[in-house]
Amino acid sequence: MTVTYVPRVASREIRRIYVPPAEPQTAPSVRIRNLTKSFPTRRTPLETILHPFSRERVTVLKGISLDVRDGEMFGILGLNGAGKTTLLKTLATLLVPDGGNADVGGHDICESAQAVREVAAMVSAEERSLNWRLSGTENLRLFAGLHRLGRKEAAVRIDDALMAVGLSDAGSKLVGAYSSGMRQRLILARALLAAPRLLMLDEPTRSLDPVTAHEFRRMLREDIVDRGGATVILATHNAEEAFSYCDRVAVLHHGRVAALGSSSELAARFGENRYRVWTPMPYHPAFETMLGGGLISTLERREDANGNDTVECVIAGDENAAAEVLRRLVEEHVSVSRFERESLPLSTLIARIVAAHDSGRETIHA
Amino acid sequence: MREVRALVRAAWLTASSYRLGMVISVLGLAAVLLPLYFIANALQPTMQSSISPEARQYFAFVAIGAAVFSLISTCTTALPSALDGAIARGTFEVMLGTPARLKAICAGLMGYQLLWSLLRATILLAAAALLGARIVWHSVPAGVVVLALTMLSYAGVGLILSALILVFRTTGPLGAAFLTASMFLGGVYYPTHVIPSWIRELAAFFPLTYGLRALRQIVLLGAPLAAAARDIESLVLAAAISVSLGAFLFVAALRYARRAGTLASY
Repeated sequence: MTVTYVPRVASREIRRIYVPPAEPQTAPSVRIRNLTKSFPTRRTPLETILHPFSRERVTVLKGISLDVRDGEMFGILGLNGAGKTTLLKTLATLLVPDGGNADVGGHDICESAQAVREVAAMVSAEERSLNWRLSGTENLRLFAGLHRLGRKEAAVRIDDALMAVGLSDAGSKLVGAYSSGMRQRLILARALLAAPRLLMLDEPTRSLDPVTAHEFRRMLREDIVDRGGATVILATHNAEEAFSYCDRVAVLHHGRVAALGSSSELAARFGENRYRVWTPMPYHPAFETMLGGGLISTLERREDANGNDTVECVIAGDENAAAEVLRRLVEEHVSVSRFERESLPLSTLIARIVAAHDSGRETIHA
Repeated sequence: MREVRALVRAAWLTASSYRLGMVISVLGLAAVLLPLYFIANALQPTMQSSISPEARQYFAFVAIGAAVFSLISTCTTALPSALDGAIARGTFEVMLGTPARLKAICAGLMGYQLLWSLLRATILLAAAALLGARIVWHSVPAGVVVLALTMLSYAGVGLILSALILVFRTTGPLGAAFLTASMFLGGVYYPTHVIPSWIRELAAFFPLTYGLRALRQIVLLGAPLAAAARDIESLVLAAAISVSLGAFLFVAALRYARRAGTLASY
């Protein structure tokens, strides 16, 4: 018998780390107004000699304005180069903006950077930010010191953080011997040490396998946000991740907020409710009836990779409409073995949002 | 203080994971000291008169010079090299994202190297004493004050070099050039008054000149601090200027790196 080790994220330990605030706050956790950031472009030696004092700049953030509410899981969705990482690094005080302003937990990121760092932590997927010659526990001990935790408190927090990310058995191993996914989880454990009220994650599931990625997202949503009351900003290029787990999503495109709104509304408006139904009765008249009645807007029959009959349809409306389609299929005695939502490729989604954004020239609010 | 302790501890654990390197570092002291012992004893009759304002034994004279030079080398290069490594590994940016103060991060980054260097210098001087170097032990606390001022002066230079690392990712030959000039003009192996007059004026620009002269007078001749007052005043001035200038340039360089987004670029 083969036993597969699936790291289980431990909710109990996260709950110990994250104690919900006594009174829920309604003020925005993050308030960004007209934030701009540009970087100088790299010059060739010849350009440096010919024009020593002029340097072109590339603008990465072009007047970003948005609020992230306290206790909310907020997604920042965008293609590579959209400005997601720059925005998070600016909020984490690692970059200084060119213009505009931003408050984190009521502290200005430029005027009170130290206070911002007390309440916020950024998790980057950068594995090289760990010391590979030290064990997982020693890496965390170093950062417990940088967060000024006392020895006893640090020991408890380290144990809890390692347990929370499913690394308690690997704490004494050298990080150099960790797999990519383990390092990713250790980076998250490092951020959890200080139980920040605002956790900013930059593509955190990039190196995780699907099972661990799912567990990780569940932990973020249920344990850190819903139970712990912390605010999470999740930068991702995975539309499914953003729309399934975040309360609201901002779609960044070329440094601008192309769309902002609740996940369900944005997904419904731009993402299409495209579902696939596995059924041995793909030509059952119930499908045509729903198409005629407008509940389904498109219908396509095709085989899946295993040769099974499926019906792919776009359902007009939100999850309630999908539930209605399923209810009618059951009522019409159509055998359904699987009924799944198909994720839309991010490029298609962004293209739709950008097209809508460009036609109006303003951020789309959903 | 917790930040500094944590960084020093992590650096110690990392360094001790390279066991051979540590062993060589300690055994290397013997390779430095033993030739010094034989050469210094051979040159004692020749050097006796020229070193008389600062020491009676040439071996003690060079042992102090070698120990202090290793310490100021560490003060000059520890922070830039640790910073360079931390930027390359991506840890510097992560550290700056924590509530740890910048001063504590800098102290922690160079702390281990400094402590290791102090240990090596102590072992070197203890071994020199065992080999016959005469040290006025009751003057050692006063000597430590002079040593601290000398090290502080060079730590300021280290801050300036670190600013170069933050902006240009290299210090070029500046660090090595400054240390080499300090060694030849600061009186590590011979007193500064034997240097040809046309170049001797340059020695005044190196804090090591004042530091070594004062330290030797105090620790090897048993002179009181007041006897080295002028050298100590010069050291205080050098430390104040270099640390102020270094801190200013370092903060400005960090601000530049935050604006340019190069904190994690290598």
